[in-house]
Amino acid sequence: MTYSRILITISRILLPFLLLFGIYIIVNGDTSVGGGFQGGVILATSYLMYFFIKGAHPFNITKMLKIDKYLFISLPLVILIGFITTGHFFTNMFPMDYPYYIRRIYLLILNLIIGAKVAIGFVSLFIIFIEEGNS
Amino acid sequence: MNKLKKFAIALLIIIIMVQILGHINGDNLTYNNLSQSYYINKGLEETSSFNLVTAIYLDYRLFDSFFEASILLVVVTGIAFMAIKDEDLL
Repeated sequence: MTYSRILITISRILLPFLLLFGIYIIVNGDTSVGGGFQGGVILATSYLMYFFIKGAHPFNITKMLKIDKYLFISLPLVILIGFITTGHFFTNMFPMDYPYYIRRIYLLILNLIIGAKVAIGFVSLFIIFIEEGNS
Repeated sequence: MNKLKKFAIALLIIIIMVQILGHINGDNLTYNNLSQSYYINKGLEETSSFNLVTAIYLDYRLFDSFFEASILLVVVTGIAFMAIKDEDLL
């Protein structure tokens, strides 16, 4: 399945910048606007542009759902590290008198997990709808 | 008669909406801004996040955002289960 040449050319120009923008928003989620969910949605949109260029999807839907499940399991494991180190549920794993750039690691890890989970979830949604439309 | 009744109902709805819009601007309302001032004053030193939205959804309300992530997983697997006719999926 091929799309219009104008759409393909503009998607080829925009795709690397959109990927970079999504990763930037996820990584800088705690210092500026954005966060895991927004960056993940932008990454999923960049996958849609990749689909416009190639006309086919390279991913296996079963593997993607499996990765999604493992990421969801890793989320409470990261959260429960904070209970071991500080003694309180659902807080930062480093104590409160640590400097910002060390306590930021926790926010960074959770933003990366949530961003990857949202991106993989929305990409698998796109793949399901594309396959459903083609069949 | 029917037209008059409809007109009266529409007029009543318009009056109610104007009253609601007049009260919703909040010029002479006193809010309970306890949590707002708490987040603004202590959000940075308690969570070390410069973005207050991230401070709320990754530290103060982490329990909430954990189950929000689970909702997305359930939605994706549910749509895959209903849409794809494949026996060895899931």
